[in-house]
Amino acid sequence: MGFGIGTLAVLVPVAAPAAEPWGIPHEKPLVLKGRLVDALCHLKGRCAPDCGAGKRQLGLVLADGTFRLIAKGNVDFAAAIPDLIGFCGKAIEADGLLIENPAITLFFVQGVRTEGNAEPFVPAERFKAEWEARNGKAEEWWRADPQANRIIAEDGPLGIKGLVPKPKP
Amino acid sequence: MSHWRSLAAAALLSILAASSSVAQDGRRVSVTGEISDTWCSISGLMFAKGTAHHQCAVWCALGGIPVSIRDATGDLYLILRIGDDEDSVANPRIARMATHEVTVDGELLERDGVKYLLVDKIADDKGIITMTHDEYGIQPFGN
Repeated sequence: MGFGIGTLAVLVPVAAPAAEPWGIPHEKPLVLKGRLVDALCHLKGRCAPDCGAGKRQLGLVLADGTFRLIAKGNVDFAAAIPDLIGFCGKAIEADGLLIENPAITLFFVQGVRTEGNAEPFVPAERFKAEWEARNGKAEEWWRADPQANRIIAEDGPLGIKGLVPKPKP
Repeated sequence: MSHWRSLAAAALLSILAASSSVAQDGRRVSVTGEISDTWCSISGLMFAKGTAHHQCAVWCALGGIPVSIRDATGDLYLILRIGDDEDSVANPRIARMATHEVTVDGELLERDGVKYLLVDKIADDKGIITMTHDEYGIQPFGN
């Protein structure tokens, strides 16, 4: 299923010219070409150095002025900020899925490269490599994340102190 | 030019390079709904509401996936700022509010199919009020 695409952090380019369908309602595989910007800067003029240096949501401004927020990459439960931030202000091509849900339109990126580059797309999987560089190897980063575990330890997995899931039959 | 002046100039150029923006003034709104990650809300791959989804929503928020408020009609309001805090990626403050029912006041910017929300104030935080775990377990893995 589309949920579990990138569990291996492989940073070498692969020949993947078209995004893989993930079975998400309203998805459309395509390549977006545009300039990478910080969303808050582009929409509201509140700019920060280096597109927020990884702390802000990012998107592409297309040639016709359309702005597409890039919400997810190839790693489970993770965005593609680490794959994109190095391209701040630059023209890139992003291979992925445009999700035109009536509630919201977002882009899920599977691979990136600089615009006009004939090289294959680089898989949008840097999140895991960067997370492991900070925290060590983990099969499932989300279960090993110190910050996530602190929050879940405080309030429980259901988010309410003292509320526990029913034991499995 | 001194080292520091060079650094300042580089930082300014970096901002200018990325900022040929179409900054707009939005409209003032009050939005009530559940805080959730946009991935689970629109992927259709899991049940993305209430207690069943809390843990998953924490993971997604800390993974940097944009967080939204889903109102009673199902509209999603993507949060780009809360008060003076402009970190909208992996912000623990936002992750702690995963699946909470909140009312916020702020500025709404609508652009190309997305409702972007700049939150000025969290007017109310009821915590988690939607009990879904008895029916759906813990999404998406059951633990």
